[in-house]
Amino acid sequence: MKVRSDVLRVYQSIHIWTGIIAGVVLFIGFYAGSLTMFKGAIDAWSMPPALTLPQVPTEKLDDLVAQVLAQDDKAKIGFSLHLNDEHQSPMTWYQQGSERELSMSHQLWHASLDERGQLVTQLSTPSELAELIDQLHRTAGIAGEVGHDQAGVYVLGIAAVLYFLALVSGVIFLLPTLTKSFFALRKDKGESRFWLDAHNLVGITSLPFHLVICVTVIVFAFHDQLYDGLKHMVYGEKPLFAQSAPDRTPYTLADLPKITTVLTKVQELAPDYQVHEMTFMNLDNPRATLRLGLYNPNGFMRGPVTDYLYLHPYSLKVSNSTIDQSDKGIWARTVAVFFGLHFGSYGGDLGRWVYFFLGLSGAFLFYSGNLLWLEKRRKKLATEQTRACRLMASATVGICLGSVAALAVSMLLGKWLYVHVGNINHVYLWLYYLVFGLLVAFAFWRGAAKAALVILPLCALATLAMPITSLVAVIAPSLGLWAPYSAATLGVDLAALAFSGMFFYGYKLTRHRVFNGPQDSVWAIPAKVPVAELTQQTS
Amino acid sequence: MARLAEQDKLQPDWWTKSLAGLILGFTLALGLVGLFAWFGPGGIDADTKVQFNMWLITPIWLLILSFSFMFKTGLRAIGYLSLFNVLTYIVLYTFR
Repeated sequence: MKVRSDVLRVYQSIHIWTGIIAGVVLFIGFYAGSLTMFKGAIDAWSMPPALTLPQVPTEKLDDLVAQVLAQDDKAKIGFSLHLNDEHQSPMTWYQQGSERELSMSHQLWHASLDERGQLVTQLSTPSELAELIDQLHRTAGIAGEVGHDQAGVYVLGIAAVLYFLALVSGVIFLLPTLTKSFFALRKDKGESRFWLDAHNLVGITSLPFHLVICVTVIVFAFHDQLYDGLKHMVYGEKPLFAQSAPDRTPYTLADLPKITTVLTKVQELAPDYQVHEMTFMNLDNPRATLRLGLYNPNGFMRGPVTDYLYLHPYSLKVSNSTIDQSDKGIWARTVAVFFGLHFGSYGGDLGRWVYFFLGLSGAFLFYSGNLLWLEKRRKKLATEQTRACRLMASATVGICLGSVAALAVSMLLGKWLYVHVGNINHVYLWLYYLVFGLLVAFAFWRGAAKAALVILPLCALATLAMPITSLVAVIAPSLGLWAPYSAATLGVDLAALAFSGMFFYGYKLTRHRVFNGPQDSVWAIPAKVPVAELTQQTS
Repeated sequence: MARLAEQDKLQPDWWTKSLAGLILGFTLALGLVGLFAWFGPGGIDADTKVQFNMWLITPIWLLILSFSFMFKTGLRAIGYLSLFNVLTYIVLYTFR
């Protein structure tokens, strides 16, 4: 397709500059986002199996709830039931904190029944590892708050606006050569051509995914401002949200219907769905709510894992639902699709894996984009590259790979330190920022080439040590480590092993380039030989 | 393709075009969503339609922003986008 050359030039500039500004934070958002596809598995992997009490059959749940409510005041305000999930205790409630706030020191009660029907409970501070990865995904690790929102979320929202521009402009300036070189992966025309072909191929094939992620990120970051805009400019006197009057009937806990009754009712309302989780909230006041997480492996979920159904816990009247298939629910269902498209919560487990790889390919897109920028600005035969190039190379290696290494190290050491510290969550947080800070500083101090040769092996070793840790746990149980106890937790170890292989391969390639590649590059470690001689030998 | 004369080429005008796309593009997207909210399916009172309307703003806004750079100059971007804004809001506020 022909596009005017002046148009191409404008959009090429847009693509380069938006990409280079937003690329680094988006890299962190994408790789961490990939990991959040398996939040449940990562949480289970990070905690000793003894913390989770055994599941009980559904018909025993009423017995469990009755016994807990008879003796615990906190549970009388609210509690959660987790059904058929081997990684969760059947009943939990907060001694301190709530699920709505992110805190490093929640205290959560777990309850179950033993074989004789006796109540078993234990109190613990849950590992927030998966939640912290999710925070990293949403904020790129940028701390601080603006109003009641996280600053990092706004930063990623702004990055996503640039990202949209980068997508549109990237497609426009690829149009003239798209049909000619779409599937070409030219290895023999120099590094930059290979990277460019790979960048284009990944970008075009995953374009729909990127458009979806980009638009949803902006909406997630700025929905308050967008609603304000609608209120002032469009709705005027009309209310944005219909407010229904709360049920003022003075209920007491004695009025709480049986769990089995609730489950039968839900079965009628949503025959295709399994109940995953039931959360009772505000049981002691008029805002009483029961939120059900409903899962349909063949459906399009509104949440990261499940759809939601909100009932009044006493009257069982539906107050809200994301599964209403009637005409009345059409808008809620449509919006649920937007959420599901971001969360990858459709297409069951296969869909999750596809999203996992799409997320990683997105991270690759930003990383390779930065490499291309550097390659394009390479000053041929110069002894030293420009300051901008050296700084950008250091930022790319230090921030992108540094974040990956920092997370891998804190996940690994978290497992080793778990039994030795009171609260593992502070360890995760401190380790991440400590390692990340050190690696970024090192990258700027010694340059990209030396940093890459430190960070890549660090990533590879930390991820390799994860499955080895599990082997050690089996051989030496006295160390207080634990081995995988389910397919999902084993999966985390195997994924770590695969990542390790990838990092080793990346290390090999980088090392080769550092010592054998052209010396007039940010990737070369300066040799003592005059540069002109060297480039003649290598080119 | 014939060579373009210098004055026919796109002027980059980064600041004016970007600001036009960001600000006027946003108000235009809001106005267009307003038309959909009031006169589209279900009308303004449809249950939870407001959520859908909110979602609709971003893609329209970003498309306008992306193609703002196709205007020949920054001034034209401001001019055309202002004009579309005025027209949209006249329709919205007259008939809602």
